Amino acid sequence: MTGEVVLRTNGLVKRFGSITAVNGLDLEVRRGEVVGLLGPNGAGKSTTIGMVLGLIAPTAGSAEVLGRDVRVRREEALAGVGAMLEVTSFYPYLSGRDNLTGVALLRGGGALARVDPLLARLGLAQRGGSKFRTYSLGMRQRLGIASTLLSDPALVILDEPANGLDPAGQREIRELIRELAGENRGVLLASHLLHEVEQVCDRVLVIKKGKLIASGTIAEITRGGGSYFEIVVGDQTRAAQILRGLGVKEIRETPTGLDVVADPARGAELNRALASAGLYASAIVPRASSLEDVFMELTEPESPSASPAS
Amino acid sequence: MVRRWMPWIMLGLIVLTAFLLYFLIWASVNAQLQAVKNGTIPAPAGGTAQLEQTLRMIAPDRVAQFGVGLVSGLGSVMLIVFAASHVGTEFGWGTFRTLLAHGASRTGFLVAKAVSLLLYAFVFIVVGTLAAIGASYAVSAVAGISVGSGVDVAEVTRAAVKAGYIFLPYMALALAIAVWSKSAGAGIAAGLVVYFAEGIVATLLVSLNKDYAEIVNWGLSRSVSAVTRAGSSAAVPDPTASTLPDPTRAAIVLAVYCVIFLVLAYWRLRSRDVTVGG
Repeated sequence: MTGEVVLRTNGLVKRFGSITAVNGLDLEVRRGEVVGLLGPNGAGKSTTIGMVLGLIAPTAGSAEVLGRDVRVRREEALAGVGAMLEVTSFYPYLSGRDNLTGVALLRGGGALARVDPLLARLGLAQRGGSKFRTYSLGMRQRLGIASTLLSDPALVILDEPANGLDPAGQREIRELIRELAGENRGVLLASHLLHEVEQVCDRVLVIKKGKLIASGTIAEITRGGGSYFEIVVGDQTRAAQILRGLGVKEIRETPTGLDVVADPARGAELNRALASAGLYASAIVPRASSLEDVFMELTEPESPSASPAS
Repeated sequence: MVRRWMPWIMLGLIVLTAFLLYFLIWASVNAQLQAVKNGTIPAPAGGTAQLEQTLRMIAPDRVAQFGVGLVSGLGSVMLIVFAASHVGTEFGWGTFRTLLAHGASRTGFLVAKAVSLLLYAFVFIVVGTLAAIGASYAVSAVAGISVGSGVDVAEVTRAAVKAGYIFLPYMALALAIAVWSKSAGAGIAAGLVVYFAEGIVATLLVSLNKDYAEIVNWGLSRSVSAVTRAGSSAAVPDPTASTLPDPTRAAIVLAVYCVIFLVLAYWRLRSRDVTVGG
């Protein structure tokens, strides 16, 4: 992580009346890296992006793009940003090309010269002359992504870019995102497609109720979730008791048995202990936590009666 | 704007309406005159002078009163619709949010909208006035009405400038409501309600008691009437005309309304959090 910081937020807070949508969020995106912004619906992802783009005024804190405070020097700051919002909106009565031309005129510089190459890059060259209202959801997403690159930005913000795309389209977008990072741009990717994030992101930020609850590389995040054994066994209560006796601290009951967080080398020991007690497991499968497992664990709704992990 | 149908349709409508109304007035009045002459219907109490006077409205030398008045009346309604739609659809389509995300400034957005509306109002009044002149000459030729001294260009220009000026507060009102409500429909509805209802209420109040003029003369409709009637004879007589405000004061009142509406729109646009839908 040695690239120049292209986006930094400091203690970003947004309250809508009594609801705190974003609560003291600090994040950083550097050139050449793809940072995933993860969180369940309503976690504050789009609000965060809105504040970064100056669409939403923060209640407290600040967002800086290329060192420029978005609230104070918004136009200058956004000159270095290409952003695609969750809902891609363009003028329905204009063609895709004309919509991009409009954005290019707004952007200035060499943006106009990039319109046709970008249409070609996003696979829209054939339909560039068609009205936006005739575009499929996937084509709209592609046009939205094309619009983010008109200004040759240092920071690209993509909010759910794969929405509406077929698997081939999703793959193309993943490749494009990696290309963007390869072109020394910073990419902030908000997505609920965890496998997408897992495949393209260098770092992940998990937010819940507007607070950052985990951050790091995919490896760091999933290591936090730990390796575990999926044990298929009857009498789960007794099995859990026996395993706790071996010093295993984290055990979750599942419909077919137990998920037991333990070092992968302890498989035989667990099996022996259960067998010694007359409990024969039909399967003991070592598993590594996926991003999805960790995400679900981190963001699962809090139950008022929930007790600490056993 | 030039790629949208709405501005072109409105220009087409004002041209068509001008020709149609001129023709209908001639056809209807001429039919009545013929009927009176043939004895099919009895002559009106004052003879046919009134009908002939109405027919004279068609002549090119009356375009400043009748033709421009027609464009002004219809134009106010059409431009209220256009102003609200021009701004409100940006929120409905979500394009306001897209523009901001691509670095456009809120101030720039409002200025661009206001300037384009101003330009459109100018084009509208020019096209409408030219259509009225054309319709006047065409129907006069068909009806055999003397063109007299022809169009008084200076008078028609003065009338057109006044007509264009009175569009502005209503357009600014429709724009402000559309910005506040993020809806073209709300802007159109509010603009039309104010346009029609305020005028009716003001006239009614002044008819009941002339002292009310002191209050209603600070409103839009009475100020518009004062500006329209300044220095020219009105096409439609107004029994409360004697209580209208001074035209200069009325013009200033209208300008102040424009500023107030634009400032309110600006303030709302500046302070609003732009979430999904604008």
